[in-house]
Amino acid sequence: MTPPLLSVRNLAINFGGVQAVRDVSFDVVEGSITGLIGPNGAGKSSVLAIVSGFLSPKSGSVTFDGNEVSGQAPFRLARLGLVRTFQLSSEFERLSVIENLLVAAPGQSGERLRDALAGRWRWRDQEAASIERARGLLDRFEIPAKEDDVAGDLSGGQKRLLELARALMAEPKLLLLDEPMAGVNPALIRRIESHLLALRDEGLSMLMVEHELGVVERLCDPVIVMAQGQVLSSGTMAELRTNQEVLDAYLAG
Amino acid sequence: MSSSMQFYVSNLLVYLGVDVMACLGLNLQFGVAGLINFAFIVFQAAGAYTAAVLTLGPSTAMGGFQSYIIGAHLPFPLPFLAAAVVGGALSLLVGLVALRRLRSDYQAMVMLVISLIATTVVTNATGLFNGSNGLALIPQPLKSTLGLSPVGYQWAYVVITFVCTILVWVVVRRITGSPLGRALRAVRDNDAAAAALGKNVTQLRLVAFVTGGAIAGLSGAVLAQFITAWSPGSWLFPESFVYFAAIIVGGSGNNLGAIVGAALVPVAFLEATRYIPQFGYPGLVDALQWVVVGLLTLTVMWFRPRGVFPERPQRFARPPGHGTETKT
Repeated sequence: MTPPLLSVRNLAINFGGVQAVRDVSFDVVEGSITGLIGPNGAGKSSVLAIVSGFLSPKSGSVTFDGNEVSGQAPFRLARLGLVRTFQLSSEFERLSVIENLLVAAPGQSGERLRDALAGRWRWRDQEAASIERARGLLDRFEIPAKEDDVAGDLSGGQKRLLELARALMAEPKLLLLDEPMAGVNPALIRRIESHLLALRDEGLSMLMVEHELGVVERLCDPVIVMAQGQVLSSGTMAELRTNQEVLDAYLAG
Repeated sequence: MSSSMQFYVSNLLVYLGVDVMACLGLNLQFGVAGLINFAFIVFQAAGAYTAAVLTLGPSTAMGGFQSYIIGAHLPFPLPFLAAAVVGGALSLLVGLVALRRLRSDYQAMVMLVISLIATTVVTNATGLFNGSNGLALIPQPLKSTLGLSPVGYQWAYVVITFVCTILVWVVVRRITGSPLGRALRAVRDNDAAAAALGKNVTQLRLVAFVTGGAIAGLSGAVLAQFITAWSPGSWLFPESFVYFAAIIVGGSGNNLGAIVGAALVPVAFLEATRYIPQFGYPGLVDALQWVVVGLLTLTVMWFRPRGVFPERPQRFARPPGHGTETKT
């Protein structure tokens, strides 16, 4: 059996006296959409922040694609293919829609000072390829805004789609989604769902924190339930619905 | 034009060139990369001091009436280059401390404090900087080589200034028009999202900070060698706010805006009004200049918050025949 793409072992972190995460272990296998659910304060977002490098764990390890990566800077993890999105919309507000995507293209020589100063010929071809790929993604996600529109002027739902397209522009192997449906209307939720399923069918792996259990049921297998900083249970959503411990945690939370 | 008129106009043009360079440098840091460098003037002063001590002869000459270090008597354009290098190196040093872990509002405070510390150090380290008297009799580049009349040399200096300004413009344009400039603007808008997409935020900030600092150094050198004097009193922290006002008025993040801002705020409102006759209490006119700069900034922020020339995203042409199937 191939080793899991992401493997989290005995993760723990404190904020002052609060043990937000204690002894969390789970795997994300390649080609899955793994769900991470639990009541508020369960530690889901902290786990996501540790896995993406935004927080350093007190103890435990994160192994991604065969490399031990815990404590590494977010930009290094992103370059390895571990790309996250954010709970609040995080567009580059004064950049245009297409510029938002172009920023994310990996390995741009035109981002080095000496190549930028040498002139356009040093990065022109790479840029043309990025523009073509960005336009392809914008078409695919059917973002109604024009590519030259300023991203800060987009509606909440469009910003969600833009963020997803932008994350894909970074060529992730594993996409970490932090409540991708927060503040999105039901029609658009269905559209985002079908995009995510299509991406999974193309081989992209995802780890997703989500509160909307209907969404989790339709997208995620397996699902990991957290409560009070620990993993409570895991399995398919159908199995978890009959688990008394899980029900109690949700009702109590 | 009478020769006094020629002096007046050429003076203004040199000041314009210096201020355009400075605004382009600060715009790269503040407008493009979002770094609130309230110590900008310190890097300009450091470049000016570098150029001064590299063009002056040994400090023991002329009866040793002023004390400073080095006194290398280097020929043009080495002092200008050295000023840019020192401005950049000092920025790297400050940036490594201030830009790595601090949030932007704290960065701004650190910069302001650095500006205050710099003034105190310079006025008290008399052996190094000749105290609050500063330096005088700084030799001018190519003055004896060119052998021009005083008015003729004024115009020659305008040419030197504009050559430097164009060089700075090309450097800044190439950065802002490239993927590097785009990444800097992304970091400014949302540094966490930029990091999550693989951007090395600290490195990008340092690139903008050091390049802007080198430009500041060069602009200081051009100014000091023009007025042939350098004194700490003319590089106090409020001078940084003049450049910030210029960029906010012109259009933060837009190079053309920085140039227009430089022409409007430091040149039109501060330099040109030096020639207004004094009236009322002594110092009233000088104080009113500051009031006018403040009012101008407030007015622009109220009616046109993104400046005269707002930042524009880059547009990309569609390749010919896009969207149609071509058969061969």
